[in-house]
Amino acid sequence: MATKSDILSKYKRNINKRFPMPEIKVDAITYPDPLAQFVFMSKTVGGKVVELKPTDDLNHVIKRLYPDAKVIASNLPEITIATRNPDTVENAQALNGTDVGIIRGMFGVAENACIWIPQTMKEKAVCFISENLVILLPKSEIVNNMHEAYKRIKFNNLGYGTFISGPSKTADIAQVLVMGAQAARSVTVLLLP
Amino acid sequence: MSNTAHSKAAKEFLKNQKYAQWHDQTFWSVRTKRDNMAYGLSEWEQLRETASAIKRHTLTHLDEYLDQFSTNAEKNGCIVHWAKDAAEFNEIVLSILREHHVKKMVKSKSMLTEECEMNPYLEAHGIEVVETDLGERIIQLKGQKPSHIVMPAIHLNHDDVGELFEEKLGTEKGNHDPTYLTYMARLSLRNEFLTADAGMTGGNFGIAETGDIVVCTNEGNADMSTSCPKLHIAAIGLEKVIPNYDCLAVFQRMLCRAGTGQPTTTYTSHFRKARPTASPMHIILVDNGRSEWMGNPEHWESLKCIRCGSCMNTCPVYRRSGGYSYSYFIPGPIGINLGMLRNPKEHSGNVSACTLCLSCQSVCPVKIDLGDQIYKWRQQLTSFGTANPQKKLMSSGMSFVFNHIGIYNSALWASPLANRLPRTLMYCSLNPWGEGHEMMQFPKESFHTLWKKGKVRKAKVKREK
Amino acid sequence: MKIGLFIPCYVDAVFPEVGVATYKLLTHLGLDVTYPEKQTCCGQPMANAGFEDKALPLAEKFEKLFKPFDYVVAPSVSCTAFVRFNYPRLFEGKHDCITAKKAIDIVEFLHDVVKPTSLPGKFPHKVSLHNSCHGVRELGLSSPSEQNIPPFNKIKDLLQLIEGIEVVEPERKDECCGFGGMFSVEETAVSAQMGKEKVERHIATGAEYVTGPDSSCLMHMAGIAKRQQLPIKFIHVVQILSAGL
Repeated sequence: MATKSDILSKYKRNINKRFPMPEIKVDAITYPDPLAQFVFMSKTVGGKVVELKPTDDLNHVIKRLYPDAKVIASNLPEITIATRNPDTVENAQALNGTDVGIIRGMFGVAENACIWIPQTMKEKAVCFISENLVILLPKSEIVNNMHEAYKRIKFNNLGYGTFISGPSKTADIAQVLVMGAQAARSVTVLLLP
Repeated sequence: MSNTAHSKAAKEFLKNQKYAQWHDQTFWSVRTKRDNMAYGLSEWEQLRETASAIKRHTLTHLDEYLDQFSTNAEKNGCIVHWAKDAAEFNEIVLSILREHHVKKMVKSKSMLTEECEMNPYLEAHGIEVVETDLGERIIQLKGQKPSHIVMPAIHLNHDDVGELFEEKLGTEKGNHDPTYLTYMARLSLRNEFLTADAGMTGGNFGIAETGDIVVCTNEGNADMSTSCPKLHIAAIGLEKVIPNYDCLAVFQRMLCRAGTGQPTTTYTSHFRKARPTASPMHIILVDNGRSEWMGNPEHWESLKCIRCGSCMNTCPVYRRSGGYSYSYFIPGPIGINLGMLRNPKEHSGNVSACTLCLSCQSVCPVKIDLGDQIYKWRQQLTSFGTANPQKKLMSSGMSFVFNHIGIYNSALWASPLANRLPRTLMYCSLNPWGEGHEMMQFPKESFHTLWKKGKVRKAKVKREK
Repeated sequence: MKIGLFIPCYVDAVFPEVGVATYKLLTHLGLDVTYPEKQTCCGQPMANAGFEDKALPLAEKFEKLFKPFDYVVAPSVSCTAFVRFNYPRLFEGKHDCITAKKAIDIVEFLHDVVKPTSLPGKFPHKVSLHNSCHGVRELGLSSPSEQNIPPFNKIKDLLQLIEGIEVVEPERKDECCGFGGMFSVEETAVSAQMGKEKVERHIATGAEYVTGPDSSCLMHMAGIAKRQQLPIKFIHVVQILSAGL
């Protein structure tokens, strides 16, 4: 078996000329109204966006959006309608069959509707295994582009985070776009006041 | 002229005109979607330039970045392995799986595991491997290899997939609706995710500063593959490591826009360590030729590739010959170049599958000089012993004629004779031009002759100053 | 300003009228044009096929013949591009390359150097513009469709000087026609397919003529159009620009 130093020294031997690191200065796109752009892009990528009014009851709104949902999974304290908790399930498999998973997003990205979701639950499966995913996002937390986004992301000790932009999708059969490949079949972003 | 394997395969491909046109139009529409994305960002060319410069820097400092990456990954609690070639890689994977008593492994898409032919190796050692990207799953069930690096099952239409699923997944007879078929694949794969003992992902990027493995998918299958099983193995080629998040932002913005014409993949997932209840995450860094290629002064920049597939989508030859017409497992312009780095004797035939139109290097998000490199590979065929002797003879003949003005002039004088050759002689198999073209009519007098005879006259009217 | 007229081998043998038109156009503009009689071929066909060693003696000859001129003007984008971008590589380690800096295609020469504001003559026809690959992506005669840069087209700019002309572009305005030198005899099926589709896209514009800055693309498409009996004519850009001369 080759060792790290075998491989690295062989690689190093073969470098002919070293190039300097460029200054990363991209005049990246910004938007006069990042929130409006974020909403537009969310719809473009197949997601739904619902803006909560200060008077709305969060749990009622979700119930109204998914009247048929029986199994709801969330570890968020403000969610009272959850029937499962990804922190306390025995294993990730126990989250299968979740109709609606409810999670929190830290911020959204206007250019592509990505939402940064660090793992804040024992089983991150809830973000993917649920048939429908609801992401709570404070509407003030929108950045313009990924350069801004990557300056902001923070990791906790769980060591996992993902950007999610709309529902799982595929075009692998004859280039026909189908929502709901292996993960959530629908995504609703609830914009919080 | 003796034809290459590519040209023969392409000829076969084009016999089914309806399918060939669908193939061309499908990829052209992906190219168009990509154009819309590129035109939508005024900073697009700046991004390409920056991405290219970052890659140049990173590849020529990769010894340092790999060290930083592995140190950070280990600090995060990951177990890092180094594989010098495909055989070592496969052995490492198998030993990890055996140590964890894995019987079944789900995996997300990885060109590296195709490169190392990992699946057959593991299967031969009793491990069940389930591909979870829908396209990869389709070709796995079909017993085929990918025909495109981003859209691996693009060569099959919905009837092909429908019939396959009827047989393998027991779907309804005759129901070939893509939405239905996708749903049925979802149900079947869901069961695999829940029961697998391990999940493997590739990686689009490794981040030196943080030790993250970053995986981009539309289906969420990399996340599903790592959410349930107790073990996550990530495998990446050495060249996937980049310095930091500022660099990642540049590549993340371009990868999907260039590849499929979407503003982003649905999921851009960062794996830094295993889930709380799982075994430590394993990362395998694979050389398999890369350190060697770095030493090739004319071709090392092929290592800049981020595997977006846009060079295939724009390549007029790829679109009209399909992924299977190339001898290397990665087709199109980048595949021609990587194949030559891998084994020039075996893959020389691919270098003539190019008109040197240079659309590939004009489209490439990291500005690899793909077409120029193909030109340069052609110059080396003699040294590999793979040059086409007829082409060489023709080139020598041309060179001789052009190098002797007297002979050149006689040839010019004789060329109108071709106009009077009988059709059977003109369009025989010795004249491949005649396969698709009518011959040009040679004029009675060449420019040379006209000039000598004083028949090339100045303009009658002079521009008024 | 001394101009060396470079008439590539296939223009010489097959399309002498393109050479004649180029000469007329340059002399009309009051330029001092010389045609070095000993020229033959720049070496591109051999080099693109993978035999730069066979191209080298021709390049040396070309360099010697054309070195004394201020500009080496040719009615061919791919030959010009070959001299400009590949000669320095061929001569690497041997000597400097002078002609690479002087080689210029007639379209860029007119557009960027001579800058005529009018040309005599009429061409009352609809023409579909063939943007040859090496013109687009090497010489920069037009903005490549792959890149997000402000759109421009030097060929179109020049053609607009001719009275009565209507210039259009086909769908996929700079996709390759499939000629590619030896490619056309080695990958016959793909080459013919590309050529046929390209001609059909030109025809779909409703144009009577296809015009472009490179006779090799035009020759390829004309051969296919004739075989497939597709109704459209082919003409080099300089022939239109010199219509009134």
